[in-house]
Amino acid sequence: MALRNISRKRVRSAITIGSMAFAGFIMLFFAALGQGLLYTMEQNAVGVYLGDIQIHAPGYLGDPDLYTRVPDPNELVAKLKAAGFNATPRLFGFGLAAASGTSAGIWMRGVDLINEPKVTMIDRQVMEGAWLSADKPKNVVIGKKLAHTLGVKLGSEIVVVSQAADGSMANDIYFVRGILKSVGDAIDQGGFLMVDTEFRRLMGVTEGTHEIAVTRVNKDRDLSEAARTVAALAPGMEVKDWRQLQPVLAKMIDVMDTSLLFMLFIAYSAVGMVILNAMLMNVFERIREFGVMKAIGVTPPQVFSLIMAEAMLEAVIANVLALGAGIPVVRHFEKHGIDLSSLSSGASLAGMAFDPIWYCKLTARTLTMPVWFMFVMVLAAVIYPALKAALLKPLEALHHQ
Amino acid sequence: MDNGPIIKLENVTKVYHQGKINVTAIDGFSVAVDKGDFTALCGPSGSGKTTILNIVGALDVPTAGRVTLEGNDLADLSRTALSTMRRDRIGFVFQAYNLIPVLTAYENAEFVLALQGMPERERRARVMEMLKEVGLEGLENRRPEELSGGQQQRVAIARAMVTQPAVILADEPTANLDSATAASLLSIMEHLNISHGITFLFSTHDQRVMDRARRIITLRDGKLAGDERKG
Repeated sequence: MALRNISRKRVRSAITIGSMAFAGFIMLFFAALGQGLLYTMEQNAVGVYLGDIQIHAPGYLGDPDLYTRVPDPNELVAKLKAAGFNATPRLFGFGLAAASGTSAGIWMRGVDLINEPKVTMIDRQVMEGAWLSADKPKNVVIGKKLAHTLGVKLGSEIVVVSQAADGSMANDIYFVRGILKSVGDAIDQGGFLMVDTEFRRLMGVTEGTHEIAVTRVNKDRDLSEAARTVAALAPGMEVKDWRQLQPVLAKMIDVMDTSLLFMLFIAYSAVGMVILNAMLMNVFERIREFGVMKAIGVTPPQVFSLIMAEAMLEAVIANVLALGAGIPVVRHFEKHGIDLSSLSSGASLAGMAFDPIWYCKLTARTLTMPVWFMFVMVLAAVIYPALKAALLKPLEALHHQ
Repeated sequence: MDNGPIIKLENVTKVYHQGKINVTAIDGFSVAVDKGDFTALCGPSGSGKTTILNIVGALDVPTAGRVTLEGNDLADLSRTALSTMRRDRIGFVFQAYNLIPVLTAYENAEFVLALQGMPERERRARVMEMLKEVGLEGLENRRPEELSGGQQQRVAIARAMVTQPAVILADEPTANLDSATAASLLSIMEHLNISHGITFLFSTHDQRVMDRARRIITLRDGKLAGDERKG
């Protein structure tokens, strides 16, 4: 009967369902874009270089000293792998680079070429040239802004000067093998990536490592629980997850997540007004009919249920239409993204660079949240007209013109 | 036929408030209608006929007095109990037919049985039989808009009859019908009254109805002006 009532006023039902479906589509797309932004932010924070969790020797984060190192990194990496993690040791040191008559401070990074690509995507961030190669230890990959500051191109020579672990002067000549695209302020401005064995040779660091970056093999595994497991495997070390390492970014993602919900609520409230209006019209138009129904024995709860059923049916149809139209569109933008490079290039947030191509991200939450929102809003919007119809006095309703 | 009173009105008064003016529609009206009666409530427009039907049908409440249906004082029943009584014990036939426009003739007649929770098979048998009795065989799948006034009123009678109620209240059932259709409908109602023993109470000022009624109660200005039993 509810279905027939909906089909009775085709134009009005089509407008109501159409507006609900359009709002559902917009919400799905909006939620997918928002989720895509959050995902990209997290990926930039975690996937490009940070890792889910990092292990340092106590005090290193406050004072990144060449001598403060995590002992026996290979043994710890093996333990972590056995516990369901990917892990890579990293070495860091500061120095001065000179080329073409200019110089700049650099942050040298010794990279484990086997493990690093399993943990992060830094090897896939090369904008020009190629990633590091174990065969060519004198070749380095540098940050985009550093290349600009030093005025170097692929194949250019860079002279590096630093202080080795034994206090002696460390210096050598390196060749630019690759230039990274924008991945974050620190790497962009001073990133000087070299093979870990070359770093150890140059800086005289024979054992230990400055950092071990860890990622969860199963991304659904709870981050805090994973951090506790890692901490148990690295007793005495300082273990922090990415949210602790980048609290500003983590807070920003949380705020964006909340604001996304808020925006959804506002948009659906507007849709709720449309539904409320349509339902009120629907009820007022049929007061006499409800009077007849009540006169022949339909109880107030049955009238209430009928109106609710009509509204829910409209919501189901609207959701089907919204998902039917929305999923293919979201899938398209999940693959191709929206190119915002003409509006901004190399944007960064909390030191993390952002890809100017904004991708959608379709998740279970992206799909279910607009659907639930729609049902809740429809329910809230229809309660008043449904109650009004249920509580009509049959005689007054029968005389309604 | 059992002639015990099925409807009893005792000193019923109904006053409507229209702004600051009080209009007395029924004024100390008392009457008893026996089971199986075929009774017409007559009187000029505004004499209170429809108000009496509405009060008996639990669609309206009296300002004063007592109304009982099958021994139940309507004032003692809750809103849901009144709905149940209207569903199970009372059939309504309205002047304007008042069918549910989205339902077919069959579904309109079936509607109350479905509310009662009767199994579909039993419902179907009973509805088809009733539609046949009122002469609507073959028109089951038509919606009200596809039926003539007389046919719609037959559906309304079928809807009122199908639950086998104790009483059928018919408010000016022939007012919108031509003579031939009205006569045909009256015959149907008379037949149903005799064959099923259902009590009929009409409000009418149609002489054709009064001619067929076995009892005529006359109202004037909300008061009992006459009560005539035929034969």
